[in-house]
Amino acid sequence: MDEFQAEDETTFVVEEVSKIIKESVEATIGGNTYQHNRVNQWTTNVVEQCLSQLSKLGKPFKYIVTCVIMQKNGAGLQTANACFWDNTTDGSCAVRWENKSMYCIVTVFGLAI
Amino acid sequence: MTGTEDTQTSYEGSFGAKEAEAIVKESVDATIGGEDYNKDQVNKWTAAILERCISDLCKLGKQYKYIVTCAVTQKTGAGLHAANSCFWDTALDGSCTVKWENRTMYCIVSVFALSIA
Repeated sequence: MDEFQAEDETTFVVEEVSKIIKESVEATIGGNTYQHNRVNQWTTNVVEQCLSQLSKLGKPFKYIVTCVIMQKNGAGLQTANACFWDNTTDGSCAVRWENKSMYCIVTVFGLAI
Repeated sequence: MTGTEDTQTSYEGSFGAKEAEAIVKESVDATIGGEDYNKDQVNKWTAAILERCISDLCKLGKQYKYIVTCAVTQKTGAGLHAANSCFWDTALDGSCTVKWENRTMYCIVSVFALSIA
């Protein structure tokens, strides 16, 4: 039983991270319309909030958070990631969010120290 | 020559960012340099860019884990904004972001290197 608990504290838990991302995005841009002069502030807020919540988890991980916000006007967007890491301890979580005027894609990478 | 190809780069951290930049530029130029945005091919392009970047980065033989992200977007006037934030060892880890464009598309590639040593 003790061993199982310890594992939870040192592994990358996708559901937990996904929840943090969704909350950050909703809090920052939920209900807003794409605005060119505010989007800079939005992406910054999303990544900062995510990172701050992730570091509060207190796990022995380094984190990288990326956020892309794109206006909906019919343009095509393709994003992809490749990682060279330790498959047993590291992980990632990507969340795609949208509303009427924009798409927001947030990816969190967690690498065990 | 069809259209111009421009790049801009930003660095952070103490890892060999210049080397990473050169690897990324070669990879992007070789894959989409001179191509027009094509929604049927873009999937293959991003995969090819990433594979080549990761493989060349590993060949550097340094003690790092790597994360490479690539976004390709069509030029239609839509606004696109990307941001990254990292929680790492500021002395050893680093990143490099390369923004590339041609007549019909933008390509943004970010390399993050995290020290294992």
